[in-house]
Amino acid sequence: MNASAFGGRQQEVVTPESLLYDAAERVGRIREGRVALHLHLSRLLPANREEGRIRIAFRMFESMVDAYRGQMFLMTNSDIILICKDARFADLDAIVYKLRALFSTDPLTYAESPDGQDRFVSYYDLEADYDSFFSLCGQMVVDAKKSVADQRTAPQIQPLDAKNLTRVLERIGATDIAGVVRRQACIRINENMHAEVAFQEFFMSIMDLQKALAPDVNILSNRWLFQHLSQVLDLRVLSVLQDVGFRKMPAAFSVNLNMATVQTPVFQQFEASIRGRAGLVVEFQLLDIFNDLDGFFRTRDLLRSRGHRSVLDGMSPVTLQFMDAELYDTDYVKVSWSNDMLDDIKTAELLAALGPVGFDRVILSRCDSETSVSWGLAQGIRMFQGRFLDSMIAAVTMAQCGKSSACTLQQCTHRHAVINGRPRAECGDNDMLDLFPVLKALR
Amino acid sequence: MMNAPPSGGIPRPNSQESLLLDYVHRLERHRHDRRAVHVHLSGLAAQNRREHHTRIAGNTFEQLVKLMQAQVFTLANSDLMVIYKAQAQDEIEASVVKLRFLFSDDPLVMEEQRTRQPLFCTWYSLDREYDMLLALAQKMVQEENAKRHAASEKSAQEAKFQANKPKGSPFTPELLHRVESSLGQADLANLMRRQAVCAVVGKSPPAPVFHELFISIADLRQTLFPSVNVNSSPWLFQQLTETLDRRVLSMLNKHDDRTLEGDISINLNVSTILSPEFLVFDDNVKAGMRGTIVLELQKVDIFADLGGYLFARDFAHDRGYRICIDGLTYSQLPFVDRERLGADLIKLVWDPSLTEEKDKKTEALRRIGVTRIILCRCDNQAGIEYGHSVGITLFQGRHIESMVQGDPRKRGLRARPRA
Repeated sequence: MNASAFGGRQQEVVTPESLLYDAAERVGRIREGRVALHLHLSRLLPANREEGRIRIAFRMFESMVDAYRGQMFLMTNSDIILICKDARFADLDAIVYKLRALFSTDPLTYAESPDGQDRFVSYYDLEADYDSFFSLCGQMVVDAKKSVADQRTAPQIQPLDAKNLTRVLERIGATDIAGVVRRQACIRINENMHAEVAFQEFFMSIMDLQKALAPDVNILSNRWLFQHLSQVLDLRVLSVLQDVGFRKMPAAFSVNLNMATVQTPVFQQFEASIRGRAGLVVEFQLLDIFNDLDGFFRTRDLLRSRGHRSVLDGMSPVTLQFMDAELYDTDYVKVSWSNDMLDDIKTAELLAALGPVGFDRVILSRCDSETSVSWGLAQGIRMFQGRFLDSMIAAVTMAQCGKSSACTLQQCTHRHAVINGRPRAECGDNDMLDLFPVLKALR
Repeated sequence: MMNAPPSGGIPRPNSQESLLLDYVHRLERHRHDRRAVHVHLSGLAAQNRREHHTRIAGNTFEQLVKLMQAQVFTLANSDLMVIYKAQAQDEIEASVVKLRFLFSDDPLVMEEQRTRQPLFCTWYSLDREYDMLLALAQKMVQEENAKRHAASEKSAQEAKFQANKPKGSPFTPELLHRVESSLGQADLANLMRRQAVCAVVGKSPPAPVFHELFISIADLRQTLFPSVNVNSSPWLFQQLTETLDRRVLSMLNKHDDRTLEGDISINLNVSTILSPEFLVFDDNVKAGMRGTIVLELQKVDIFADLGGYLFARDFAHDRGYRICIDGLTYSQLPFVDRERLGADLIKLVWDPSLTEEKDKKTEALRRIGVTRIILCRCDNQAGIEYGHSVGITLFQGRHIESMVQGDPRKRGLRARPRA
């Protein structure tokens, strides 16, 4: 049938949602013994929602289709829906259990919603719950249409490959790298509960870098090629940092570098430019460390021998399960805060994992709330980093700044975070901006 | 399907000198009826001292080694020291004759014939000349240690300047793109190698447990980018391995011979296990006769995305694959916890230094589980002896291969698996 013959409607595009809708409509006439299962994979963290994993999850259901006259649908948003007949619940449970295990590092599989509902999977007995299921299917058609339309208007972004990496590398020269460099203070809380800045971390905002450097290429889509790109960017960041007109030098610079960068003349130049004026901390990623473990130890020792510090970056409850952080013998170990750490079992696990490191060497990063800092303090952690502290620093700065009546807290926070450009120029007192005052009487 | 070539200088495959000294010590009370011959391959012209010459020379005594009549030490300067039972004198002499014939056009051998001086080899009778041999072995160890020390200092220095002074032209994204495109047409079947992982128990001959299928990177490089220094970018190289993974899987998928039958291992990246190509491969092996299939992963790939690894591991286990972590050296073992990572096997790279501080190391290997360890890159008998002394029974390497194949000259032995 030609849809356009009826009132000039646009031809319907076949989507998984429309197929599901049609199937649900047919099942409506033969509901007996039918059940539906809705796997909410769209609720996974983005990293876990990656195409390959979804494909495998979908594949795991195939046996159910064969066994119970099932139909399965992979939705545009990565959800999976299965409709089948007279299925044994034990079999369904077994598959769901397997999938839950596959995604076990994602909070979706272990954290219930506030009302105690399982957020990972919903079951529908179509004899009893048909209407709610059918309206879900209708809703999915609407949502998918919208997201397809959004995608159509969104700019086309290519994945990073060897071919466009060459182009991206060429563009670095013409990109304002200083404009995408951000800084964030890492504070240390002393026994009087005063907090002072231990060092300032300088890093690139990947989102802004993406926009400035390669708006048409997703530079994060290929881990290895991004790593290659980052080696080149390291050098740019180090040279940019030598040109910033800080009113007051940071007590110490912390930079995220590839191990290879430490061996370059650019690094030596940077080192010379801050020697005697500021300390230096270098943060390393697991990926880079495991590319050359022996090289890592040499690099760490080299830094140490020149009076610098090293950080084992990017630890999380998951990584700490699989490695002994103390073995790397870095000066600091940086753990990213996540809300699931509040869980008693997780807390105990982290205490056991970080005990051998020593809590005075742990940095809790990504602290976006007071809760995160209180949790850290309760465990004996002294060093913190994150948006929550950024706002506190901005608030204290504003309290002491003569020009603050013209600014908002958000502006002050943002101006602290950049090293050049308009936000910094708009600040009425750059001296105050670089001061990073001591935070007193922290609760 | 391969790993990054070692970034520092290539470590010497063994320190046979210390093993020799060890052995001579042990023979102190058994010197009666023992003899030795020192074959001075180091005196040969450079073109006769390449690796395959040394290997062929060493293999000349293979049969006697198997019969427990002789013990061969391939020294760092390519000399051979063969210690044997007096009853094997004739066979040993025959072997030396063979060797002399092999190098008959070498100046050293010609000079020996001309002057009638024993230049090619020196004979020892241990009951009379034990002390002389002991002193020689001690001197060799000292010299070798000094050389090793100097070499390690040099390689540390080299590592320092490596970034500034790459050898060959650097590996660039542009080049990677070209290589990836030509891989589309290249016949990878030519570059595919097999090497057995064997159970070696007691004195019985090696029994293959599975065969590792891998792409010979040396040959691939020779074919596609001979003048490029792949060390210059480990990350581009890592990307190349992913492209290769997919090409190899699609080749295995097309194969109508019996490659996929029997027990095999293949080298893959974690992301490849999560790719559509692997699902097709999985269907194919399911349809065919599926033996044990071992998936070999690199540590850098595992730790690059632990979440991804855990997912791939659970999926692979669910489908009946085994997971092996490839290419670990002893010093890396504490950082790659097999049990916590839930891997079935690890490959430990044989290195003669494993015999140093043996109790401590044995204890560490037992904690990992000696039945979970494949001792790989066993280029000589010493690896097997060491393995047996700590309870390892799975072995891989050129030496094992030559034991399995009999005649190593018939096989393409230039290749070596990626780890």
